Amino acid sequence: MAKKTTGLHALTGNLLADGRVVFLAINGGWSDSLDIARLARGENDAAELEAEGAEAVRANVIVDPYLVEVEVGQGQLVPVELRERMRIRGPSVNLEFNSRPNGQAAIAA
Amino acid sequence: MYRYDEFDATFVRQRVKQFRGQVERRAAGELSEDEFRPLRLMNGLYLQLHAYMLRVAVPYGTLSARQMRKLAFIADSYDRGYGHFTTRQNIQYNWPRLPDVPDILGHLAEVEMHAIQTSGNCIRNVTADHWAGVAADEVEDPRPYAELMRQWSSLHPEFSFLPRKFKIAVTGSQADRAAIRYHDIGLRLKKNTQGEAGFEVFVGGGMGRTPMLAARVRDWLARDDLLTYLEAIMRVFNLHGRRDNKYKARIKILVHALGAEEFSAQVEEEFARTGAPRIMPGEGELKRIAAYFAPPGYDALRDDDPALALRLEKHKDFAGWVERNVSAHGVPGYAIVNISLKPIGGIPGDASADQMRAVADLAESFSLDEIRISHEQNLVLPNVRKRDLFAVWLSLGEHGLADANIGLASDIIACPGLDYCGLATARSIPVAQDISKRLGEPARQREIGDMKIKISGCINACGHHHAGHIGILGLEKRGREYYQITLGGSGDESASVGEIIGPGFSSENLSGAVETIVDTYVELRQNGETFLEAYRRVGPEPFKEAVYATH
Ligand code: SF4
Repeated sequence: MAKKTTGLHALTGNLLADGRVVFLAINGGWSDSLDIARLARGENDAAELEAEGAEAVRANVIVDPYLVEVEVGQGQLVPVELRERMRIRGPSVNLEFNSRPNGQAAIAA
Repeated sequence: MYRYDEFDATFVRQRVKQFRGQVERRAAGELSEDEFRPLRLMNGLYLQLHAYMLRVAVPYGTLSARQMRKLAFIADSYDRGYGHFTTRQNIQYNWPRLPDVPDILGHLAEVEMHAIQTSGNCIRNVTADHWAGVAADEVEDPRPYAELMRQWSSLHPEFSFLPRKFKIAVTGSQADRAAIRYHDIGLRLKKNTQGEAGFEVFVGGGMGRTPMLAARVRDWLARDDLLTYLEAIMRVFNLHGRRDNKYKARIKILVHALGAEEFSAQVEEEFARTGAPRIMPGEGELKRIAAYFAPPGYDALRDDDPALALRLEKHKDFAGWVERNVSAHGVPGYAIVNISLKPIGGIPGDASADQMRAVADLAESFSLDEIRISHEQNLVLPNVRKRDLFAVWLSLGEHGLADANIGLASDIIACPGLDYCGLATARSIPVAQDISKRLGEPARQREIGDMKIKISGCINACGHHHAGHIGILGLEKRGREYYQITLGGSGDESASVGEIIGPGFSSENLSGAVETIVDTYVELRQNGETFLEAYRRVGPEPFKEAVYATH
């Protein structure tokens, strides 16, 4: 039996410079928030998103783009897969460090 | 401690320069990600779930204060003020930015460190007993041989594209603190009746989805044959290893498929064929390397210290720490201090930059400038005078490093799991934290006694769960984490692979299930049996019954 899907996808990747998790946004940029992600509702939409991802790879903005299945849960968009939920959320531990920006200069600022 | 010669120093500097050029070309779009990925991996740079991760090798787990300070500096300047010590005696930084990595590697090169061969299908960082050179039960320091193997395997053209990654561990003691039987090649240094050094050789051990203990292929290998014999093993592997199937490509599968006897016969044939010219360096070079590991300038001391005896009597917390964290040294008046990186409810193996600096200061003042990293994700000050133990303990306490739990239930190995790792199926750190809080009350864990709990966030088993007395493997089903428990594993000289006890547990039920297993052991143990001894006597049944009746 085919797996039931939501039919709703966003395009994600990691920024080339720092590996941060981002989503293709409605305005065409890349955002770390799924809230403003551009969504695909069918195969044609998905192909368009993937084409934009490929373009961003060629432009050296992101690496390894792929489609993530999302759903609406508790009033917001959330990925269906556990791994993708963790990618958005960041580490669930070590919060003292993980909310810090990188590097001394950044800490001092 | 080994110091780079001009060749090593130039090689590492050139490598930094080369990588800087590669990063620049990547940023400019001259290299695609497909072209760049293998280049960054060769320099230890991974892309993980949330960011890049840089894995830096600590050869055979030995560091000087200067090197540890540099690791702290990198954590502060280029990362988020901490680092994670791994089960392969490496350190991982979780948040470096790509443009900064060449600078980080440049800083590492200044203190004779690098990240080369911490990834890819090559011979990885050679690991060793973390008490090498100081353990009271040691035959000979294995680190000169580990260093020799490091030099031999670095960028060896024949072994840079193996069927799969390849891990070597070496120990110089009968007691196995390096888990040699869980390595592709495990070496135990020993002496024959003439007092000559040689090795017992094990091949084909490993964790992962098919855990196997290495088979003994040689009871005695003369020291001078070491590299020639290792090359013979690597050649048989290179020739027959399953390059067609990633899951069957490790040498353990080959040893298993051929049978240890046939594998060993092929190695012997290759060894006989390539016996001349020998590739082992001459006596002069061996002596040159060994000189770097010569015992440091120990004071001539009495073994007992009256002031220490008094402190032990008056300060119960100190006495408890000495009992668990301090081990016998080979030199009178000295002790090995094991520093726990497992605070109750903390993250196994993580250390802040401040803690790294504190350990560096202590190493300089009290440990003849030496620090070790253990594969159990703890730190070691290997050369502390017994009379200084109290001062060291007090100072460790000021930096949150005085937990008296080495080898106890809260001294848990855990891999980064789904909090960081791109391959993970479930989180392992929060599970370790839960169990540590549940069992970590000092009197409680002392009552439980020696206990090794090991947790991996996926089947790759970096958290060594197969070798855990209680092993935990994190998996995922329909978007939820669940955990499989194995019992009876061991990575020491009585090595065994843990057995799965039955269906897995949800994250909510897991620490309760572990506690039930521990309680069952406490109830059924006889005459001070350890968990492992009791398990080997009674088998899994009593534990299964107790766990599945209540969870
Ligand atoms: S065991 Fe799996 S989750 Fe843990 S570090 Fe290794 S690959 Fe990552």
